[in-house]
Amino acid sequence: MAEAKELMQRYSDGDAGAFRELYVLVAPRLLGYLLKMARERALADDLLQQTFLKVHRARGAYVRGADPLPWIYSIAHRTFIDQARKHKRAVVRVGDAEELPEVAAAITGESDDRRDDDRADPELVSATLDALAELPAQQREAVVLTKLDGKTVAEAAEIAGTTIGAMKVRAHRGYEALRKLLGKPARPPRRAAGGTP
Amino acid sequence: MTGPDLPQMPTPRPPPLSPMLEAELGQLARVATRRPLRQIALLVAVSLAYGAGVLAMLAMRRDVHELPMGWLAGAGLAWLLGFVVPLYLAMVPRRGAVMPRWKLAAGAALIGSLGFIALGLAIHPSGPSSATLGWEHFGRGAGCLGTGVATALVPVVGGAIFLRGALPVGSRWIAAALGAGGGSLGGLVLHLHCRVTDGLHVGLIHGGVVGVAALLSAALVPRATDVR
Repeated sequence: MAEAKELMQRYSDGDAGAFRELYVLVAPRLLGYLLKMARERALADDLLQQTFLKVHRARGAYVRGADPLPWIYSIAHRTFIDQARKHKRAVVRVGDAEELPEVAAAITGESDDRRDDDRADPELVSATLDALAELPAQQREAVVLTKLDGKTVAEAAEIAGTTIGAMKVRAHRGYEALRKLLGKPARPPRRAAGGTP
Repeated sequence: MTGPDLPQMPTPRPPPLSPMLEAELGQLARVATRRPLRQIALLVAVSLAYGAGVLAMLAMRRDVHELPMGWLAGAGLAWLLGFVVPLYLAMVPRRGAVMPRWKLAAGAALIGSLGFIALGLAIHPSGPSSATLGWEHFGRGAGCLGTGVATALVPVVGGAIFLRGALPVGSRWIAAALGAGGGSLGGLVLHLHCRVTDGLHVGLIHGGVVGVAALLSAALVPRATDVR
């Protein structure tokens, strides 16, 4: 499959097929992110459609040769924030199993057609999603982006429109809160092989 | 970074494209994408021409030949840098990125807003024909403030047009940088026009133009540059 920036360039040149390929490439990851943030499938679907509509309307702002993914993620981030502000709720609890996603993906955010390892444990997934929903929106987003979507702290900060330091703090606090919610003890510090005392 | 071992998260199948998007794709046309370097060059050129026009209308300061040339040129260069650097950071992203560097732009806006006030209060040489106002006539600086903010209008509006729809995050800081850049152009025009040499006037009014333009821009411009 072509790279996102090549598809974005062809799309900007008027190739509708390139947009569809871009959608196939980006939408699963983006929907995964939005679902973890919004916690409701219908809302996440709606936010995804809004995000791509905004990308479409703002495509003239794209800079040729640039990676469009952080920009598209930022649009999704902003769309979610606007929605949460509008409805004064950032969290909607999952009510039944039908609202859980159907297709497993790696922790990097790739959909399962790109990997061949086993599927996730549904109970553990559900518990983790519930625990994520307990976090404040900023901490949840930091955990989702850095731990689940495989973004670096710098990439996550760029997407969320904050500083690297603030993103590190949010992610750390999010991990700590998540650990307490999941009832897991902190990892013992690793002893480096042959390390000095 | 330590944290709980999170399970592999499921990723859902995305829904089909909405009818609205399908309709948009049905009439998809080529669009001209953003060219940041070309835009900044055009914006700087147009803004300088506008600033020169404003200065031509107002006339150069009468004491220009009496002032130390080093100070006149040095301060002019500082105003020019205060104009170009925030605009550059607000409009030109790093290589390979779509979004401009809003954090650096924010820093430039803050430094410009505070730095020119501090410099104005500290450095204000005068010649025999320079005027002084003092606190009792400080209010007469409103004219300079208005002129400076009016001069900032073209770079701010031009930048907002070039950046429309480009800033899903950081738009307020980018707008502040556009305002600070425009305000510095206003400061440059005032530097070459106004012969009042009070530290109070030069610092708080001429320097203050930068902060006022940045605040006004931050309040108004994001409506144009946000992705909606």
